[in-house]
Order: sequence, then C-alpha cells, then structure tokens
Amino acid sequence: MSSKFQYDLVALVIFALVVAFGVPAVMNYDGFELNTFARYLALAIVSMALSLSWGTAGLLNLGQAATFGMGSYAMAMHLKLRASDGLPDFMGWNNVETLPWLWVPFESLTFTLLAGLLVPAFIGGLIAIFMFRARIAGVFVAIITLAFLVAFQLLFINQQGLTGGQNGLTGLAQMSLFGWTVDPYSMGFYNLVAGCLVVALAFGVYLTHSKFGLILRAIREDADRARFFGYNVASYQTLVFCISAALAGWAGMLYTLVLEFASPTYMSVSFSLAIVIWCAVGGRESVIAAAFGAIVVNMLEGRLSDVFVEGWHLILGVIFVLVVMFMPRGIYGLLSDSVRKIRRIRRTRDQRGVETFPNT
Amino acid sequence: MEQLQVTDLQVEFGGLRAVDGLSFSVQEGEILCLLGPNGAGKSTTLDLICGKTQPTDGSIQLNGVEISQMLEFRRARLGIGRKFQVPSVYKNLTVDENLSVARSRRPGMWNALTRLSLTDAREAASILDRVNLGAKRHEMAGNLSHGETQWLEIAMLIAQDSKLILMDEPTAGMTIQETERTAEIFRSLSDNHTLIVVEHDMSFVRTVADRIIVMNRGAMLAEGTIEEIEANEDVKTAYLGH
Repeated sequence: MSSKFQYDLVALVIFALVVAFGVPAVMNYDGFELNTFARYLALAIVSMALSLSWGTAGLLNLGQAATFGMGSYAMAMHLKLRASDGLPDFMGWNNVETLPWLWVPFESLTFTLLAGLLVPAFIGGLIAIFMFRARIAGVFVAIITLAFLVAFQLLFINQQGLTGGQNGLTGLAQMSLFGWTVDPYSMGFYNLVAGCLVVALAFGVYLTHSKFGLILRAIREDADRARFFGYNVASYQTLVFCISAALAGWAGMLYTLVLEFASPTYMSVSFSLAIVIWCAVGGRESVIAAAFGAIVVNMLEGRLSDVFVEGWHLILGVIFVLVVMFMPRGIYGLLSDSVRKIRRIRRTRDQRGVETFPNT
Repeated sequence: MEQLQVTDLQVEFGGLRAVDGLSFSVQEGEILCLLGPNGAGKSTTLDLICGKTQPTDGSIQLNGVEISQMLEFRRARLGIGRKFQVPSVYKNLTVDENLSVARSRRPGMWNALTRLSLTDAREAASILDRVNLGAKRHEMAGNLSHGETQWLEIAMLIAQDSKLILMDEPTAGMTIQETERTAEIFRSLSDNHTLIVVEHDMSFVRTVADRIIVMNRGAMLAEGTIEEIEANEDVKTAYLGH
C-alpha cells in the first residue's frame, strides 16, 4: 500500500468522524442547522464527482449540473406522484389529461433510485462516447459539455407539461424508505446524507488509487502514450464520465430531499460553474479535498450573505480570484506542498547535523 | 519465421513522400537496425508500424495479420511496443507508477478497476534493478536525468513485454558505459523479443545488430550485415553526399 493511499484513508476516516459526530454536536442537533449542513454535504458529492473526471482524468465537465439535475428531478417526480392523487397539479394547469408514460414508472421508489443513478450515467456516457471516440480533449470537452448543458436546460424548461417548466416541481411528499418517513430536518436524515457522502468518498478514494485511476492519470498526462501501451483511452474516459455522472445524479436526488423541491436552476450554467469553483478551491486532485472545498465555499456563502447582504458576491469573487492566483491546486495543493517542504527542510537539517557532529 | 512483413509501404505528407515503396521483413528474435541520414524516413517507418501515422498505401502484416488500418491500441495489444525518440515517460507519475502503467498484459477496464495501482509495479521491480533504477522507485519520473529517463522508458518496454519492440534512438544522450549496458540489455531481450532499432551510434549498432537496413529518401538503399553495409559504395555516397 502506498503512503499516499494511507494518507487518504486517514483523511477519509477523520472526515467521516467530523461529519458524523463533530458537526451535529457543534450545530447543537438543531434541525434547521442540520438541514443546511446536509445541503452542503449533498453538494460535496457532486463536487467530488467532478474531481474524478476533472482532477484524475483531466476532463473538465461543465455539464455536471445537467446530470445533477436529472437525479434531482427523478427524485422529485417520485415524490410529486406520492403527493398527488393521480395527476400532479401542474399538469392540469398545462392541459395534460393523462399521466405521461415517462412519469409512470416513477411510482416505484426502486425504479426512481435506479433511474437517478443510471439515467445520468447513460446520458453522460452517450456524450462521452461521441467525444472521446473522436479524440476530443482539453478545452473542447469543456465547450461541448457546456453547450449540452445549455441545450438540455432549455429543452427541460420548454416541456412545461412534463417537467413543470420554470417553476420546477414543488409541493413534494416526504420519501418513505422501508417504512421510515424521511424528515429533512431530522438527525436521521442528516446521517443518511452524511453516510451517502462517506460511501461516495470511499468509492472515490478507492477509484483514484486503483489501477483504473492510475491509467486515467496517465491518460491525462499523455493519452497517446497510453494508447501505445494497449489501453483503449476512449473507453476509460467514457467510464469515468459515466461514474462521475452517476454520482452527480445521486447528489441531485439527495438535494431534492433536502430542499423539498426541484428547480431548473439546478441545471443552470452558473450552478455548473459553481461546482467547478468548489472543486478548484478544495483541490481537484483529491476527492476528499474537493468535497471539503464544496462544504467550505457553501458555508462561506451562507455566512457572508448573512453579514454582507449587498456585497457578498463581490467578496466571494475576490476570494476565488485569490485562490486561482495563489493556490492553483487548491487547499489540497497548499497542504501537500507544505508537507513536502517541511520534509525537505527536516532532511537537510538532519544531514547538516551529521556533518557538524560526525561523532555523535 | 517472419514476424513482420512490410510491403510497398508508402506515406505522403502534403506532397512529400516520407516513405516511398518500402518493403522488408523481420524474423522472430532478430535485432534489425535502421540507419540512414536525417529525413530518410526511419522514425516515420516506426510510426507507421506502431500506428502513430496511417500509411497512404501498402501493407503491414504482423504474424500474417494485416495491421496497417488498425487503431494503435489494438496493435499494442497484438504485441507491438514503441520507444520514442524524445523519451516519453509520465513525468508526473513515480517510477513505480510508470512501470505499472506499462505493464499492460491485461489492458481491459475490469482488470484495472479491481486492482490497486501499484500491484503490477511490484511484480516488475526486478526490471528496475536491471536498468539500475531500483533506488529511484519512488522518485517522480520528471526528476530523473536524461539518461535515466531513457532507461525508464526501456524498462517500461520490458515490462510491457511486447513481442516486437520498436526503439527510436535508445542511446541518445547516454554515456559510453550506459550505452554498453543498453547493448547488453538488448542482446538479452532478443532471446524472446524482436527488435527494430533506429540508431546513429555505429559502435552500438555494431554490437547489437543482426541485420541492417539503410534508408535514404524513404526507400531502402542497402540491406545486409554490418560488414556488407560498411563496404557498400551507395551507402557511402548517401552519407557523404558525393
């Protein structure tokens, strides 16, 4: 086991303990505060999902919000059906008489949970196959995924009878899981979200330290070289895109549970860019750092907007500019660089000590 | 047995014929050296065999299978390995990790998903000792010297264990001792590998080559053992220009 893997495991355990026990204690087990923090944790999952494709494989996916939105809407559709007798209310306002076939299977929770993971993975994979078989790389990946996001959001809003359009899906029921009604302001719900995040992070840590993660890093550095070793680069890139999209969908489902509605703003360009910022602030090379970045930035956003009602966007913007300028690899880069520097100083000091006192 | 059969190979880059009607074959276990003045098409020939460049005409057969239209990763899976003129190792990965990437007998994703990143590197550790990099296993490849980088890429090709290895100027930038060591490694590799080597260092070629092909302007000028080539008048003219 490499030392880096050990560091990551330790970091994961500490992170899990803090999130599971530390945070609720600090929040005084207050339902409202816990709900707010559960929202950050859900966003942390989508940020770590981006770090898999962007940090590990070097594929900047600006369409992450689209897959997040798909998961979010899958969950919202299920909860909306549970909340309404037969036809959801907004369909009536849009002169839709019968339940569209697309909605029918969402009666089932099992289907909903599967769809929330697999639909984003499938659509992400479809785009990925077209891009990566054509060997599109670098900034063009960002442009194509961004274009897809814009088109997808537009399509989604235009299908008002099917999706609730600009209003999104509101008035949702609470999810019931094995007879447990999920109250988003309860400790149990907080634990559910925290558990999901920790599982997602453990999966991410494993993935980055598996040979799969190593090949992705190799592809990021020199895709052609990897091809000459016999790796099918396109399929590696496609799979990581699918995994990242599925995780984003998972985060989206949790997000709907937290906020109790789904809105097309979850698929907006600004939300997608926000994910990139969280990931960059935390450090895209590590899934844990990316999750941490999402939590920190969102907390900061929450606190700043409380204190500076007018100018908080400006302050946040300045912070981002500073981060990009002075810590291009995020908090993670800052940490790993300083650890390396301390080690080097200690090593040179040890060597000098030997030179000065050769007999001791 | 003929392992590689190249017939009437041709490639054009915007009107320039870099390789023009080249035909040759390589036997299993042979070390074939490609010589020729700059621009003769030696590296391009290797590019065509490994799939970096697509030929405009002609055929390349590996063990009787036509490969000239295959994607490069499929050719690699059939057993073609390539060392580049500019050493291309992964500078941001450690030496161990580089070796692990290179060890690609099972390049599929399922295998990659169910293994930790360094399992393969450890198996390949003896290869590093062979090229004197055993002490630098945890070093970033970007921190290696030029000669060490050359050797790392050679180690990666040994780890890849391709049946046919294409080496583009493997000793460039090496000291005399390093070059001698490389020659030894190549000789021991030829027990169960076939090598095609592009090289300018004549003393190196003299030690390793079983057979030599001299290229000029994309075509074959002469073929034979080192003695035959050194006695060939056409070769002298091509090199000295008169």
